[in-house]
Amino acid sequence: MLNDIFIAPFADMIGAPDFLLQVLWEGLVSGVLYALIALGFVLIFRSSRIFNFAQGIMVVFAALTLVGLHAFGIPAWISVALTLGVMFVLAVGIERIVLRPLVGQPDIILFMATIGITLFLIGGGEIIFGGENKQMITEELGIPTGDTVLEPWGGLLILQHVDITVVVVACTLVAALLGFLNYTQMGRAIRALGDDHQAALSVGISLQTVWVLVWFIAGIIALVTGIAWGARAGVSFALEVIAYKALPVLMLGGLESIAGAIIGGLMIGLLEKLFEIYWGQPLLGGNTETWFAFVLALIVLLFRPQGLFGERIIERV
Amino acid sequence: MKHFTKLAVAAVVAAITASASLAQELYTPNLAYRTGPFAATGIPLMNGQADYLNMLNARDGGIGGVPVNAEECETGYSTEKGVECYEKTKGTAIVTQPWSTGITLQVLPKTNVDEIPLLAPGYGFSPMMDGKTFQWAYNAPAGYWDAADMIIQYLESQGDLKGKKIVHLHLDHPFGKEPLPVLEALAEEKGFELVPIPVGLKEMQNQSAQWLQIRRERPDYVIMWGWGAMNAGAITEAVKTKFPMENFVGVWWSGHDADLAIAGQDAKGYKSISWSFPNADAPVMAAIKEHVVDKGNSKSNEEEMSGVFYGRGIIISAILAEGITAAQKHFETAEITAPQLRWGLENIDMSEARIKELGLEGMVPPFKTTCANHTGNSGGWMLEWDGEKFVKASELLTANTEGYASIVAEKAQEYADANQPWAVNGDCSE
Repeated sequence: MLNDIFIAPFADMIGAPDFLLQVLWEGLVSGVLYALIALGFVLIFRSSRIFNFAQGIMVVFAALTLVGLHAFGIPAWISVALTLGVMFVLAVGIERIVLRPLVGQPDIILFMATIGITLFLIGGGEIIFGGENKQMITEELGIPTGDTVLEPWGGLLILQHVDITVVVVACTLVAALLGFLNYTQMGRAIRALGDDHQAALSVGISLQTVWVLVWFIAGIIALVTGIAWGARAGVSFALEVIAYKALPVLMLGGLESIAGAIIGGLMIGLLEKLFEIYWGQPLLGGNTETWFAFVLALIVLLFRPQGLFGERIIERV
Repeated sequence: MKHFTKLAVAAVVAAITASASLAQELYTPNLAYRTGPFAATGIPLMNGQADYLNMLNARDGGIGGVPVNAEECETGYSTEKGVECYEKTKGTAIVTQPWSTGITLQVLPKTNVDEIPLLAPGYGFSPMMDGKTFQWAYNAPAGYWDAADMIIQYLESQGDLKGKKIVHLHLDHPFGKEPLPVLEALAEEKGFELVPIPVGLKEMQNQSAQWLQIRRERPDYVIMWGWGAMNAGAITEAVKTKFPMENFVGVWWSGHDADLAIAGQDAKGYKSISWSFPNADAPVMAAIKEHVVDKGNSKSNEEEMSGVFYGRGIIISAILAEGITAAQKHFETAEITAPQLRWGLENIDMSEARIKELGLEGMVPPFKTTCANHTGNSGGWMLEWDGEKFVKASELLTANTEGYASIVAEKAQEYADANQPWAVNGDCSE
């Protein structure tokens, strides 16, 4: 048993380094996508203290809108622009109809409101687009679909061009977001709201504008995530569940930390894949990805309740 | 007081009229799932089911002259919602159609007490084949253990399985685990190694870990018990990892045209065992077009109607309709009760002649149910994806039911013992 836990997995890694590279690559792709979804949660939480339960269904809604618009004969990139327009209208609608009347209400009320948004988008999405599995317009968007086969150490490493594109686009998006948040006035306004709500409002930062903006950014992230995951297995309401994969990332990285979302996502993507392949499948029958990330996050929370990168909350009573 | 009397009389008249009108239909609720993660596979099945019964209502005034009310209760494939739907609809229902192995397992003991036939064509709990023990449950025309046996038969026809390795890629759900007892017995008998690999509900879209394991195991074949988004996820991963498609075989719920269309030509050679096959030239399709589609009463579309799952929905409703017809003839009444339908469902004789008479040529193999055998064991065809659609790739395969008869008896007895008091059919002498 000790051999199976402490020696055999590492011997496997050394014995088949090409396979280890493949596992790490797959983990990296998953991790980048988890980080992206987690960023959507973090941005909204930082600016409004709302845990956005609707992030998952926004991924489905954005992807369905894109595919649906293209099905009407609209060219792919114009469909992308129109989908972004739809996500902007959605952000304005959510701010005006749902969030604005609830300003000042307890956090749990705002959280429940996002559950309402989820149910609304599920119902609306099914009425407008139907529940059938739809094909993502990968080729029409110019996303390469082939693969590159490498032979490190005489072995085999398959890199899907779709996955490479996803990693590049996701990294670019994350970099752009960091640039936006750090170097633009509006980005600093979002961060200011996250740091101190009252102080930010007192210097004239518009809560409404910031909320619309962060929900729109969450919509952009949802669209990119929807395209990336939709290219793998089609676009259907099953995509909604992938948002739950971001929950342990948030627990691990901290709900308020952009760096935490990125590093947490990458850590969970890589570690859950390594654990599943080298320990989960041989020793536990597999499917450990369902729970591994949560257990890892719980262990971190035992020692750092605010997450790895979250801010320590000190309340004076 | 006068007003009160008038109101009371009106209420009594309304109640009598309402109960009379309720009785003038055959209430066959369907615990459907057109929403949620599995909607993509549910919608064509539900559309096929609804269109066939709507066609009978429009063309023949129902079955035996009594309209069928196949009201849908939406479950989203959730077991909890499925149980709620069962409780909500069981009042005047003559049958329940649970539409998920998870829901079937939950309502199975209830139907034995409520005395309502449970119809789960091609799914549910495989020991339901034992009609003496499961007197209210039916999974005709074929069960998961039939599927497991037929798939292994087919693989054996490609070469001896001794020393080979077969991966069982399955949804981590009662449905996915259902064939394991028979697969394990066959592995021992035929000398192949069986490697079960589960796929969690949250991992359906991203099965890279499972396919990395498949790459490491280097199996000769992969068989799949997948559902919903898991099918498309597995097929795209198989393409990605360059697993030979001709060595990849799915159960009948893993043979949905829309899932394969995502991989298109890359999935060419993928196979799926199936007890149904779409036939656009079958008379039933023309009847549905004339009486339902052309009148704007169908939720389906031309592309979906040419697919495997829509055709299977038609067959599922045809099986129910045959059970109702058999009961109506036997009991000489058009408005049958649930216990009468139980008799009908265990006396279905879907012969070649009857299949032709119903306009279902080529869409389902012949089968027959009895009080002792609620599965019928129709057999099935191995279908193959040609890059655009499924085509038949084998003659009719039939399961070697004798090979796992002892497992059926053992598991049925185990179930009855665990659910005491469990009423069995003592009148069945077969």
